[in-house]
Amino acid sequence: MIPPAVGDSMQNQAAQRKIGDQELQIADSEFERFRDFFYRKTGIYFEDSKRYFVDKRIIQRIQETDHHSFRSYFTYMRFQASGEELQVLINLMTVNETYFFRESYQFDCLVGPVLDEVCKNKRAGEPIRIWSMPSSTGEEPYSIALYLLERWAGINDVDIELMASDIDSRVLRCCRDAIYSPRSVKNLPADILKKYFLLLPNGDYQLCRDLRDSVEFSQVNLVDSNDTRAFRNIDVIFCRNLLIYFDDASRRMAAEVFYDALNPGGFIFLGHSESMSRITSLFNVRKFNDAITYQKPF
Amino acid sequence: MGLKKKITSNVESINAESINVKNLEEQRKHSRDYDGLLNLLHEGDPSERRWAARDLAEFPQAIDSLCQRLTQEGDLIVREAIFDSLLQISQANDASARNIILELIPLLRSEDTPLRNGVIEVLQNLPNSVAPHMEKLLQDKDSDVRIFAIDILRELAHPDTPAWLLDVINRETHINVLANAVDRLAEVGTEDMVSELQKIKIRFPREPYLSFAVDTAIRRIEGI
Repeated sequence: MIPPAVGDSMQNQAAQRKIGDQELQIADSEFERFRDFFYRKTGIYFEDSKRYFVDKRIIQRIQETDHHSFRSYFTYMRFQASGEELQVLINLMTVNETYFFRESYQFDCLVGPVLDEVCKNKRAGEPIRIWSMPSSTGEEPYSIALYLLERWAGINDVDIELMASDIDSRVLRCCRDAIYSPRSVKNLPADILKKYFLLLPNGDYQLCRDLRDSVEFSQVNLVDSNDTRAFRNIDVIFCRNLLIYFDDASRRMAAEVFYDALNPGGFIFLGHSESMSRITSLFNVRKFNDAITYQKPF
Repeated sequence: MGLKKKITSNVESINAESINVKNLEEQRKHSRDYDGLLNLLHEGDPSERRWAARDLAEFPQAIDSLCQRLTQEGDLIVREAIFDSLLQISQANDASARNIILELIPLLRSEDTPLRNGVIEVLQNLPNSVAPHMEKLLQDKDSDVRIFAIDILRELAHPDTPAWLLDVINRETHINVLANAVDRLAEVGTEDMVSELQKIKIRFPREPYLSFAVDTAIRRIEGI
């Protein structure tokens, strides 16, 4: 999840649209009411500068759900037992985008203090296991692989098993092909791009075979225990910007899955707006210089 | 040393069964019967109790035992698993959800705060099943239970929530309970409740926090 588009947020004014003869506007207090509720449900807090972005999408949903005021729409959304409308809003308010080295401060944290701690608790010859979930089209697990190879001195001393999973079989096929647009690799340093990618005739980039073979991809539904039961003895989990799309019960189940999958002392990285503390007290918060992580107690 | 290579590379075979996670297969047994799980829930070590609690999610008849275990269980990881299993069982059918509610509501009187908070979280996720109990909870003789009932309403997706809260502010005399209800109405109140909110300031003229909460709620409700 990334913040609203810049173009939208530049205009700090309420959005307006016409319903019949009336201009539909979101009042300041209505915006605050929505902001508090949305923050409580998702952990995403909209600054005043995002007002136009938020108003515009709320008004869009008011119209699309045939309501005529913020009040009636908010009541509908707030008390809908299925939570479907809240989910629609979450999708509208978040912009899913994945690319290499996205939120790279977390990878810095991984190859710094996190793996240092993990290694301290390993016996000689014991591999380190890292699980990326959801893998989406592969940018995250391959970014981890690149970081390990290029920025972690310990890579020559330890075996690393990289696993990545997603519920969507289509994106898993993309992972295996590992062909990416220039936009997707825009954050990669030129030397890394040159070293590990092949420039294709159409301008896309394909990751080299060796790296493609270094990640084990699998189709997994995180809330299906049959899918997740086999994931054990993991040292680090990346689960960024997924739990935000789950309802409360599913979020708790996912936290249980991670708890069971991790070794004692293992770490979880979540998306920047997500907090494990809001879901469960099973994990300890660990604050490092680069990032906040959640650790399974020893 | 370095990045280990995977064993399979056939894209058609991507699924949880075909991948390397077989190498991670845990030691535990998968097929355990109901009675065996109940024994483990009460007698195993924390890890065994936790796994028993998780696997009992497949047995709706385990509601009583899971809830009973909650009151005895001191280990957080087991409790969390019990709460999650209860949530899963509650999704099986309405009767299960109703049974869970009946078992959990008495635990709102527990002095064990983490236990109580876990109970509140489960109840918040069962709006239709908890609804028939809300009025009684909101009129409980124990003011703490009334506050916990309002905590349930904080996340309850039930359309009667504003009406329940209105009823609270009209008759409640305990300042803390009242303040909690007013706070909730700031989010879910409607314009027809403004006059009732105003009356609180007249009833409690020497409670500045309450006046502030009422003014905030009214401002939110009226969209000023």
